[in-house]
Amino acid sequence: MNDIERDDRLVAAAGGLSTEISPARDLWPEIAEAIARPQRSRWTPMLAQAAAVVLLIGASSGITYLAVKEDPQLVPVVMQDLRFEQAAFGAEHTFGSVYRSAQGDYRVQLEQQLERLPPETRTEVERNLTLIREAIAEINVALKENPDNVLLQDLLVKSYREQHALMRRVGELAQHVMARKDI
Amino acid sequence: MEALLTAPASDYSPEMVALNKPEITDEADWIARAQRSDARAFESLYRMHVDKVYGLCLRMTGNVAEAEDCTQDAFIQAWNKLDRFRGDSAFATWLHRIAVNAVLGRMRKSKRETERIQVATEMPSSPLSAADTGELRDLSDAVDRLPQGARHVFVLYAVYGYSHDEAGKMLGIAPGTSKAQLHRARRLLAQQLENEGFEA
Repeated sequence: MNDIERDDRLVAAAGGLSTEISPARDLWPEIAEAIARPQRSRWTPMLAQAAAVVLLIGASSGITYLAVKEDPQLVPVVMQDLRFEQAAFGAEHTFGSVYRSAQGDYRVQLEQQLERLPPETRTEVERNLTLIREAIAEINVALKENPDNVLLQDLLVKSYREQHALMRRVGELAQHVMARKDI
Repeated sequence: MEALLTAPASDYSPEMVALNKPEITDEADWIARAQRSDARAFESLYRMHVDKVYGLCLRMTGNVAEAEDCTQDAFIQAWNKLDRFRGDSAFATWLHRIAVNAVLGRMRKSKRETERIQVATEMPSSPLSAADTGELRDLSDAVDRLPQGARHVFVLYAVYGYSHDEAGKMLGIAPGTSKAQLHRARRLLAQQLENEGFEA
């Protein structure tokens, strides 16, 4: 018998191992007790703070838009971004290569694009980006402690989405400023 | 069933559970009721699936206490997430995913895994041996002695029949990594079993 045949037979033999095993004791009473208790609030101070920051970012981004809009047709619509659907959580939280690539591109262009914006707008955008980065860092710290927390995962995705949308918005605003100067 | 649901914990006996195990046809009804926060319906689901969940936890951890904790964690998480179960997969498969997450979550938090391996190598046989017969006991013991990553993949792929894609998703690793871990597991098992005269 060669190695491959032996390995295949090993896997086949493993298929015969029991998949259902009865626990030696009844595990239900402790489960019943746990599910009878009101669910512990997930709103830890850190989480509440992170959520507040995300909300603030949303509001602040809105203010940025209101402050700089000169033409309603320019309003970039922030759509659900499929890149974020590639996010995966569990032992590690990672984003797909498409997201990382797009994020890299935006990052490179950001510095140049910021210079083209009016100073007030630039300050506001930079403040928003700082807030988002701080929120992301804070949520990541919380996720290390509690990697399976769905609420934290959602917050992280929202924060990345907000960062992504803001960077894209900066690009679009900067292009518009250039276009108007050309006119 | 009614007797079981109303019996105090002290009246529990495995025979009683076996006699009162719900029919599989009741599952959809139990799920719907449990989704409306009916704890008794959820207990029925627990009775129906506990052996599958505990079996998986025990195969993955190789430790009775850890497996019991993981099983309890998995069912508590299942209760909390029950409103998200839409029936896209079988309930047992959905529970399996939660159980794998419970095992991985516990192992991340705990350093007992390292201690477990040390203890397991000193023990003549693992608690899993009782679940298997004949030469399968040797195989079961050998699987239990595998390093964590290789063991998890081998258990999901070879024992439970998940594909590399499925196992990878459950474990949070790439399918290629799953294949590599399986290859590693086979080699290690072959070495172990060769010394023990195991014939697959």
